[in-house]
Amino acid sequence: MSIPDFSVQFDAAVDSGLMWLQDNGESFFDAANALLSGVFKGVAWCIGTPPFYVIAVLIGLLGWRMVGARFGVLSMLALLVCAFIGLWFETVSTLALVLTATVLALLVAVPLGVLAGLAPRFDRVVDPCLDLVQTLPPYIYLLPAIALLGYGPATALLATFIVAVPPALRLTALGIRMTPKEFIELGEASGVTGWQMFFKIRLPFAMPSIMAGVNQSLMMAFGMVVIAGIVGSGGLGESIYGAVRTLDIAKSINAALAIVILTMILDRLAQSAAESREGASQ
Amino acid sequence: MTTLKIDINEVLVDCQSVWKIFGQNAKAAMEAVVHKGLGKTQVLQDFSCVVGVSDVSLQVRRGEIFCIMGLSGSGKSTLIRLLNKLITPSAGKVLVKGKDLSALSPAQLREVRARHIGMVFQSVALLPNRTVLENTAFGLEVQGVGKAERYQVAERALAKVGLTDWSSRYPSELSGGMQQRVGLARALTADPEIILMDEPFSALDPLIRRQLQDEFRQLTKELGKSAVFITHDLEEAIRIGDRIAIMKDGVIIQVGTAEEIVLNPADDYVAEFVAGISRLHLVKAHSVMTPVAIYTQAFAQCDFSRLTQTSLDADINALIGLTIGANLEPLAVVEQGVVVGIITAKDLLRGVQGIPNDAHATAPFLEPLA
Repeated sequence: MSIPDFSVQFDAAVDSGLMWLQDNGESFFDAANALLSGVFKGVAWCIGTPPFYVIAVLIGLLGWRMVGARFGVLSMLALLVCAFIGLWFETVSTLALVLTATVLALLVAVPLGVLAGLAPRFDRVVDPCLDLVQTLPPYIYLLPAIALLGYGPATALLATFIVAVPPALRLTALGIRMTPKEFIELGEASGVTGWQMFFKIRLPFAMPSIMAGVNQSLMMAFGMVVIAGIVGSGGLGESIYGAVRTLDIAKSINAALAIVILTMILDRLAQSAAESREGASQ
Repeated sequence: MTTLKIDINEVLVDCQSVWKIFGQNAKAAMEAVVHKGLGKTQVLQDFSCVVGVSDVSLQVRRGEIFCIMGLSGSGKSTLIRLLNKLITPSAGKVLVKGKDLSALSPAQLREVRARHIGMVFQSVALLPNRTVLENTAFGLEVQGVGKAERYQVAERALAKVGLTDWSSRYPSELSGGMQQRVGLARALTADPEIILMDEPFSALDPLIRRQLQDEFRQLTKELGKSAVFITHDLEEAIRIGDRIAIMKDGVIIQVGTAEEIVLNPADDYVAEFVAGISRLHLVKAHSVMTPVAIYTQAFAQCDFSRLTQTSLDADINALIGLTIGANLEPLAVVEQGVVVGIITAKDLLRGVQGIPNDAHATAPFLEPLA
């Protein structure tokens, strides 16, 4: 007996569903596209307008303040390397994409994470959704995004946003849930209101976990932004994708180097932001 | 000791037949207990519920330190949490300053907790991201008191516990004993009438512990506060408490002063507990003396004037000193210039054993005064 095959019907259903969305949600998706690419262009303009050495020095100073003198000098030199291998514009554009996607993701993930931490019932709904998002291969988000938002940075932004949400949401919920019992008792015995319990007791204890989530989201965004080169994200992702297609090994290594530099700088900055928060609690 | 004028008969905390049953079927179990008189083991069998606190009634008066002594699992930590409704009773009433806690709105309950009942925890629970001063001011911060004012009050509370120099440090920089002092200062800052102490000194080493016990008692008496003090250590209860309640399996077995409990233990369980406790400083003259009436009955002509005199609340240790000084002659116990009782060396030895002087037991020991 042969296995019944419903793939044709299934595919047809998915296609027609997508078509329906495209037809009926056109104005919505156009607006979303305009909004996303508008935000992205704004951020890219802010970082891209000053000369490259100004940005390199600024980030170097930031690194010096937050991490240390050695890190500050190294990150400034590394950014200059990005400029001297002819990839400054791409580096800036990637940075803008990652920052925009991460900030948007945090705006959604942290409040939802707090909710999930406080309301176990909501957590039970969100958890399988996050499992789904995290287990599907990231490429999957690109196709429907292309269909709905078209080729360009808005699609890359959306796909990056989707993968950046789960870590921050999960770790925020975890942090909120893990408030030690004796401090909950302290709050109650001191006569705190619900808001005071949250801001004065739960949130400070959750902060290290939330900051770890922010860092994780940032790293996920970096991973996705390269993949999103396929859909015309611009920046280093697209350079790498182009280099792979034309087997231009030298160019692909240059772009990869720039990605590594950018990732390491942002990772260390985010980590030290998390540590300085923890440092206050010691 | 008391320096403030306070009405010591005013009841601040009144527990009336309070029960707490834990478990999913707690409600049904409670009803079965009320209507069928089910016991602890039966409740566990039939409803798989645990009886935490069983029909406890107690009163804490103004200015009094009330100790609740029990081993782990006796329900003492549950009981103290019923007093500020961190745990809601399954049955019975808790009145704080005459107000039934279960009848209060959430806002009123917060008010009672913030202003009238302070609490100190075994784990101390100092917020690690705040300085000692900020921790101490926490209660006032919650009440919305301005920064300058609450820090001023907190500084004063820290001064009372001897930690003025540590106010800008973080809790992790302090030793365990100092942290517990901050916990006490935090509870005092909101100036509550009642302080609940949940095994505050259990985790400290013996020397620091004794020191804190003495400091705590002195401070509480000085400020005229009432305290409910939970401990698993009878010696600590005796050192600190004006009255002691002994708790076992959720039931209060006996309530009384240290002297009453040591001299008249309610059952074998209590007797076993007090067996190792030294009577020297616990048992007082009024418990070991023979009332003067009994003496004058037996020996018509008595001359007490040449006996060494002492007072009703002199302890056995002091009495032994006096007796030796008087060459083992009896002592005369004097109250307001009148001799009310006689203590012989035999009475003292009985006292050391923990046997009080009632007329029957001591009658055979009566002997004419030389």
